[in-house]
This record gives sequence, C-alpha cells and structure tokens, in this order.
Amino acid sequence: MRRLALFLALLCLASCQAPDDKAQLQTLVIAVPSDPVGLDPATNKAEPVGSEVILNLFDTLLAWAPPAFDHLEGRLASQWALSADGRQLSLTLRPGVRFQDGTALDAQAVQQSLNRAARLNPFLAASFRAIQRIEVTGPLTLRIDLAEPMPTFAALLAQPQAAIVKVAGLRPGQQPSGTGAFRLRRYSPDNELILERNDDYFRGPARLQRLVYRVIPDASTRRLELRYGGVDVSPPISQLATIPTDDIQAFAEDHKVQVVQARSQIIRQLDFNNDNPDSPVHDLRVRQAMAWAVDYDGLVNGILGGVVERVYGPLPTASWAFDPAMQATAFHHDPAKARQLLAEAGYPPGRLKLTLYGFQGAMWTSVATFLQANFAEVGIDVRIEQSEFSLLRARHVAGHFDIALDGRQPWYNDPDAHITQGYLSSLARSAMTFRMPPDPALDGLIVQARSVADASLRKQLYSQLQQQLMARVPAVYLFSNKLILFKRPQVQGLALNSAPPLVEYWSVYKEGPAP
Amino acid sequence: MNSFLGRRLLTAVPVLVLVLLMIFTLARNLPGDPAVALLGPDASEQQISALRSQLQLDQPLYVQFGAYLGRLAHGDLGMSLKTGQPVLTEVARRLPATLELTVLATLLALLVGIPMGMVAAMRVDSLLDQALRVLSLAGVSMPAFVLALMLQTLFSIHLGWLPISGRTSPYYITEPVTGLATVDFLLAGQPAAAWDACLHLLMPTLVLGSFLAAVVARYVRNSLLEALGEPFVRTARAKGLGEWRVVGVHALRNALLPAITVIGLHFADMLGGAILTETVFAWPGVGRFMLDAIHNRDYPVLQGTTLVFALLYMLVSLLVDLLYGVADPRLRHRGH
Amino acid sequence: MHELVYFARTNRLAVAGALMLLAILVGIAVVPLWLAYGPNTLAVSERFVAPDARHWLGTDLFGRDVLSRLLYGGRYTLAVGCAVVALAFTVGATFGTLSGYCGGWVDALMMRLVDALLSFPSLVLAIALAACLGPSLVNAMLAVAISLAPGFARVARGQALSISARPYVDAAISMGLPHPHILWHYVVRNGLGPLLVQASLAVGSAILQTASLGYLGLGAQAPQAEWGADLAANLQYLDRSPWIALAPGLAILATVLAFNLIGDALASWSNPKTRSSR
Repeated sequence: MRRLALFLALLCLASCQAPDDKAQLQTLVIAVPSDPVGLDPATNKAEPVGSEVILNLFDTLLAWAPPAFDHLEGRLASQWALSADGRQLSLTLRPGVRFQDGTALDAQAVQQSLNRAARLNPFLAASFRAIQRIEVTGPLTLRIDLAEPMPTFAALLAQPQAAIVKVAGLRPGQQPSGTGAFRLRRYSPDNELILERNDDYFRGPARLQRLVYRVIPDASTRRLELRYGGVDVSPPISQLATIPTDDIQAFAEDHKVQVVQARSQIIRQLDFNNDNPDSPVHDLRVRQAMAWAVDYDGLVNGILGGVVERVYGPLPTASWAFDPAMQATAFHHDPAKARQLLAEAGYPPGRLKLTLYGFQGAMWTSVATFLQANFAEVGIDVRIEQSEFSLLRARHVAGHFDIALDGRQPWYNDPDAHITQGYLSSLARSAMTFRMPPDPALDGLIVQARSVADASLRKQLYSQLQQQLMARVPAVYLFSNKLILFKRPQVQGLALNSAPPLVEYWSVYKEGPAP
Repeated sequence: MNSFLGRRLLTAVPVLVLVLLMIFTLARNLPGDPAVALLGPDASEQQISALRSQLQLDQPLYVQFGAYLGRLAHGDLGMSLKTGQPVLTEVARRLPATLELTVLATLLALLVGIPMGMVAAMRVDSLLDQALRVLSLAGVSMPAFVLALMLQTLFSIHLGWLPISGRTSPYYITEPVTGLATVDFLLAGQPAAAWDACLHLLMPTLVLGSFLAAVVARYVRNSLLEALGEPFVRTARAKGLGEWRVVGVHALRNALLPAITVIGLHFADMLGGAILTETVFAWPGVGRFMLDAIHNRDYPVLQGTTLVFALLYMLVSLLVDLLYGVADPRLRHRGH
Repeated sequence: MHELVYFARTNRLAVAGALMLLAILVGIAVVPLWLAYGPNTLAVSERFVAPDARHWLGTDLFGRDVLSRLLYGGRYTLAVGCAVVALAFTVGATFGTLSGYCGGWVDALMMRLVDALLSFPSLVLAIALAACLGPSLVNAMLAVAISLAPGFARVARGQALSISARPYVDAAISMGLPHPHILWHYVVRNGLGPLLVQASLAVGSAILQTASLGYLGLGAQAPQAEWGADLAANLQYLDRSPWIALAPGLAILATVLAFNLIGDALASWSNPKTRSSR
C-alpha cells in the first residue's frame, strides 16, 4: 500500500512539468474584467469585452488602418466609393474569402448580415437608421442607399457591431460563423474564453496559435496576475475604471511589465440636467459658477496623475475637428469668480445643496470626492451617491438628477459620435444625452455638420458648434482617459486603436525568454 | 428514525417557500428595469415594453409569484434575462466549482480545527493553549479579502508555490465532464494538468475554510474540556489507559457533536464567504454568478441561485441533525 | 468585584483584549481633539507623503491625513458595529425569548422564519438591500443586523426554553403573575448571560461584514472615513504606500480580536467546566 502511494507520488512529480516553452510562446493570455455579453455582432450593444472578441472572430467591411488608425482601409471590401451626393456607398468585396465553415463570402452574404444586424441590434439602429436599402449589384459588389447624405457612413461600417457573419442556415441562439483571424474554441462563462488560430484566414494565418481571455473581476487580482502570474496582456478596457498611475510607476521601475499608451476620444464630464426648469442648475450662472469652481489641474495632474488629459469642450483634443481656440477660452480654476456668480444667482455660501450621482469604481470615487471638495470651497454643499450602472442609467434617462458624473466613449472616429447623440434635442430623452432643450438653430447646425461632405467645411461647422455649445455650459467637461495597455516584454506587434479602443491580435506574437 | 426524517423534510418546505417569497419580493423591488438593463440605453420604448410583456414583468406580483412556483414544481427555474439560457443549466454548470470549494473548505476546517482544539484542551491553560486560542481568534478577526491578499503575497509572489487566481492554467484545456477540474483532467489522462488544478484549489480553500477552522477549534476545545470533566473519563484514566486513547477515543466522540453542529450553523456564512472568495480568486462559481445577477437585475438567476444556496444550507442542516441523532443515542429514539 | 478580579487573574487573554479595546476607545474618543488635520481636508500637493513629523501616519491619495482618518473612522466603525449588534440583539432576542416562552405554533412559526433568514448569505441580503434602497452605510447596517438577528434569536430561544421549564416559573404562572412580568423578571434576567457573550462576539462579526461590504462599494460612501471602506480602497497602494491600508487594517484586526478575546473568555467563564484555572 505504501509502495503504491510512493509510486503514484513519483508518477505525479515526474509528469509535473511546467507547460513547455513552445506552447507558452504560442498562447497569449489576456485579462479582462468581465464576461463578454454578446459574441454575435447583431446582439452586442457596444459592450467592450464582447466587442474586442468580435473583432478577432469576425471581420468588418472596412477598418481603421494601423498603426495610426487615422484613415480607413478595406478589410473585407477591397474598394469603396461614396457617390457625389453622399447618399450611395458602393462596395467591392475581396475575392476568395471564406467563412470559417468553408462557405465563400459574397455580396448576398454581406447584405444578409448587414440587414440582420440593423434589424436586431438597437445600438446599431441609431447609426444604421439612415440605410434605406442594401442592393446586391454583382456577385462581389453591393450598394448601400442612404436616406440622407452621410459622409461618416463609411466609418460606421468599421464598428464591431457591423462585422459580417454568415446568416444562411443560422439557428436562433446559435453562435454565427465569421471570417476572422481566430475561431471560438470554447467559452466557459465567468471563467475564460479560448480562441484558436484560423489557418485559412484571408490575410494569412495569425502568428499566435491561441488566445485565452481570462475573466478576472477583481482589480487587485488582475494586477497581481500581470506582474507575477501568467497574464500577458491587460487591454485598456481593464484599466478604464481604475487609476493605474501607481502601476505605471511600479512597472517603470521593475521592467516586468511594459506600458503602451494612446490618446482616446473618451470624454468624462459632470452632467447638468438641462431639461428641468425647477432645478437649481437651470440658471446659467449656477452652471458657470460650478465650471469655475473645479480645480482642473489638481484633478488631471494631481489626483488622476498622468493617466488622463484635460478636455476643454464638447470634443476631445484628439478629434480632428477639435478647435484649438477652445483651449484659450476654456474654464479654469477661479473660486472667487464662482462665488461671485453664485451670489448673483441668489445662493450665498451653504444655501445650495446638491446630490452628485456617479458610478462605482476607484476612478469615479476619486473624481467625485475631489469635486465635492472643490464645490465645498465655493459654498456648494454636495452629497455623493454612487450606484451601479443600470440604476444610474435609469436615473439619467428619467431625468431624476441635478448633477451627475458620466462619460462617453465613441465607437467610431468622427466628431459626430460625440455631437449628435449628445446634443440633438429630439434625442434628449433617450440615453447618453445632455438633455438639451429644443433649439432649432443648434439642432440645424448639428444636422448640417454631419451631412456636409467637404472636410474643411465640416471643420468650420464643428468649430461653430463647439463655441455655441460651450456658451450654454451643458456640462463641466473634465478629462479624457488615456488608453493604457499593459503587456509583458515578450509580447510584440501590438497596435492600439482609440475609437473603438479595442485590440486586434492578428499581428501580435511573442518572442524572447519567458519571464 | 423515519418519522424524524419525514418531519424534518416536511418542515423544510414552508421554509423554502418563505425564502423564495423573500427573494422574490426583494428582487422585484430592485429599481432599474431589467428590460432596460438587457436592451441597453439605445432601445426604443416599444422594444422595452415588448420585452417587458414577454417576460411577464407587467403582471401583478402575486400572479408572477404563482406562475414562478408553478414552473418550479416542474423543475423549471426560468430563463436568465441576460443570456437567455435556462437558469437550471447555468447554475448546474457553475455548481461544481462552488461545491469543490465549500466541501474541501469544510474538510479542511475539520482536519485542522479538530486537532487544534484537541491539543488546546489537552494542554489547557498552558502557553500553547493560549497561543492556539489567539491564533484561532486572529483567524476570524480579519476580513476575508485581506487574508486572501496575504496568502497570495506569501505563496504566489514571494514563494512562487501557488498560482494567484483562477481554476486552471490557460495552457491546459479539456472538455468538462464532471465539472470538477481535477477529475476531468485525470479522466482525460493529463496528470500534470490535474496537479495544476489542485494547486489552484489550495488558496481559495484555505481562505474559505480558515474561518470555519477557527470556530471548530474553539468549539472542540470547549466541549472537550466539558467531556474531560465527566466521570467516565476519570474512570478511563484510572483504568490506566494512555492519555491519547482517553482523549482521542472516549472524549472525542462526545466532543465531535458540537463540532458538527457548528458547521451546520456556520454553513450559510461560508456560502456567503464563497461569494467574496470567488470574486477575489476569479473562481467561476455560483456565488459570483449571484453577485453578477444582482448587478444585472437578472431576477430568475437571483431567485435560482438563492434557492440553490438555501437548499444546500438545508441539506447540510438535515445532515447535521441526522448525524446528531445517530451519534447521540438519547436523541435516537425520541419520537415526536 | 471579587469575582471580577478572579476572572481577570485567570483570563489573561481577555484582559489583554480588554486593554487593547480600552486603548482604542480612548484613542478615538480623545486624540482627535488635538489633531491638526481633519479627515476630509484635501491637499493635492501633499499626496502619498510617507509618515513624518507633521503627518504621523502619512497622507493618502488625496493628501488627507491618515491618522485623522483612522481615528475619526474608528468612531464611525465602532458606532456602526455597536449599533448593528444592538439592533440585532433587541430584535433577535425579543423574538427568540417570546418564541421559547410561548412554545407551540408560535415557536414553530418563528423558528421557520429564523431558518429561512439563516439560509440567506448576509452578503446577498446586503447587496440586494443596497440595490433596492441605494448604497449607504445605513442600509449595510440593516442588512448585517438582519443577518445577525437569527443567531441571537436561537440563543434566546434556547435560554427561554430551558428557563421556562424550571419549577419556579411554573410556580409563578400558577400564582397568577402576569406573563410580561414573568418574562422580564425570570426569563430575561436569568438568561442574559449567553446573550451578552454572543453580543460581544457579534460586534467583531458586524465590523468584518461591514468591511466586506465596503470592499464591494456598499458600505460607507465616499468620502466618509471608515476603517473597512478605507482598507478596501487603499489595498492597491500596498506596494508603494503601505501605511494607508495598514493603518485601518491593523485597527480592524486589533479591535475585532479584542472583542473576540473578551467574548471567548466570557463564554468559557460561563461554563464551569471550561473555566480557566490559571
């Protein structure tokens, strides 16, 4: 009996070796904070983890070109052209592309896929509502007819939600087949997602054999795994709710982990309820006072040290339509002016009491705490109430707030991503808006800016828009998160896109000694 | 015996209904519309109200509860609002992970707690006794997430013996058969992977079981001290039996009862502790599933997981009562 | 008094615990009067200062004085712990005593309710309550109190059952004394012992559970100083600025350990067979 136990123990020990180096070099382990909510482009509603996986399982017609991601390139489409009146987009597909189950990709498959997505995905409805008809004009050519001129439409086709799936023969609830660089090997909910290389990928097989997305909800565990454990990459979505300043400094010292940064077009701001005449913030002077009260430098360079940039208006500095004049006229820290304005509005120190609603998470907590102190300095009594996402969204949509912290992350690289949904008064009562009261002139300008084809004219229009919006002070614009990606030195070939802030792993590989 | 069992089962039913009623009411009062939570911020009013009537969310509460109980009688726990999958399947997929932890933690508590209590009782009032008492009390004096961090820092970072989190290493893959990682790997003929899965189990079990171990140690010590004062012990000593035999065989049998009841009492606490442990160690169990369900306003999952926890607790309670009845002859024949 | 001295001499651990507790109580009650900084005074230029002459325990990520947050937070945490236990004790012991005294269907019904509550992990209850009513310390306290009450109910019921069976209670009933009188003077006053022990142990448990809820963001809300919330929020800085998390962490450990030592000694004391002799 004892000998048997000994034998078993030896057998165990003998076979206990670490996974061999070759397997280790071919596998990339990625840490994400939550499960993907939908791996089907037609059901994923801009949820970040699922969207990133989708980009690796499927392809879009067009995509942002690495490494600068500032212009579009053809992915499944080899050519595309917008008609002169901006209402028709013609596309030519690349020949020889196959879905992962072997079926060939053709124009009809693309038409079916886009129609299905437009029908099923409420998130896409906002951007695809302009599609009147999609017509197949040849085995590899198709034409999309738009109801109104929309020069930004090509950018919308690069969204993960617009990726092409194989619709024919798809049963409800079944995971569709894509054309992408990786295929889904297994999804173990709450645990991990395993993707394996698609050897027949039309751009050539990926360099990695396997991607493993590990779901690690706890931020400190993720940090430990990155520094000491088996995680290779922590993509930006894992860092957005925390303040990784400390981590960046620590990694700079011990060289175990490298930091890749990129600017984003995210905007985080303090929302005012612009739709409620009974609210204290209805008075322009109160809104202006609060904008003067914030210590922007202390927030951006102090509390959130080095991981965010200042935002000066409705558009972030990383947007091509950003007007540099905004920087000069932006609000800055002036408590005296704030107090004066408040006095004029009839609020001596201590009279104005507000509740600040915000999301949970280390970053939001820090911002809320800091703002509370800023407002206390000018005599505004602010109470912080943090709650979780669905509760806050409900509150936002119902308009049950005076001030709230919120943010917006654009999913395509165009100023329209920030402007229309945010400021068009007809959309005021839906989600992620600034609840602007009806203003025909402003609304007209918004619609015009997005429909005009000429880029320099658009830029002028957006300059006007920025100034007009700033004059109304619909929010206190605070900062924009930098996109921060952590990786082991072994990982090479990574390129970081900003809108959307997702990573494609086709070109990524590992080389060099194991840590 | 049978009447005892029957009686216990009968009383379990109203408790279950009570639990279900409580969680049902609580879940329905969570603000935030699940239809909104599911469809996202850009859904239209039509879509939201369509989903609400599809999910029967617009019916009066008692109608919903009645329908729920009816489906429950057929073994239908409903569909997850988030994934659309049957709750029963989803819970069943995650249950082995939680069971692994709780069962092993209980075993650990017994294996560590009983000897600790025995030693403390045998060397009562000595320095060793005092030290063990402080140690076991310190074990229950810090929050679980701190203990987890301490263990991770010691065993993973400084010593490098154990993995930081997760259930398996990303380099080992196998198809789930039983849902228990170690068993599945052994069945698939990958002993290295099975060993790796065991290593992953160690720290979460330690964290979850340490509290129970400390409690068990204390109870064993106290009840052993009680037993050691009894006349039969003096008799055994007078007979010349060795100290270990006296304590180990005779006294322990009497002291085990409180240890077992203590587990029954604290099992619900441990299930709650599992929620936090599963979150910190990225363990894919039912506890974490429940936490997510609350965040997502996924009522069916919330009800289903609470039901499972309540059932587990009651099962353990019943087992404890049965063991008590078997172990203590005075209770065995008492008819009610 | 004589008994107290004997208790102190034979239970050195409990004395150690009591002294620790006393030190903590004095600290949080008295020292804030002399502190230079408040717990919520931000100073962006003085973030992450290591402990020095001005800031004895350094500063945190907002430049707030850690010592000040520790002491003011202590007031809050201990108040929370005691309030929770007081609530759980009152509700639980009342129900349990009544249940054990009345017996019959009242007893059966109450015990089913207790069982149902016991099979609820308190964390789930707390999260659900927080989600219903909004996250706040009061709701967290309510949830923890509800989860501790059944424990008190059980002990109280056991006591009531055993005392009610005593002959002198029978005598009192047959003498025609009103039930409330019997309940108070006979059942409660004689059965209080184990309940007080339970209470002492429950304070530690209440503080820990509140800390766990703070870890999930459901306890004290920003910027309130509270040991559990501060510990949870500052664990991420353990590498580079360990003092910010160590201060509240060690404070929790010391306080809960103190309560546990006292409670454990009291528990041993109340049973003559387990009473220490040294």
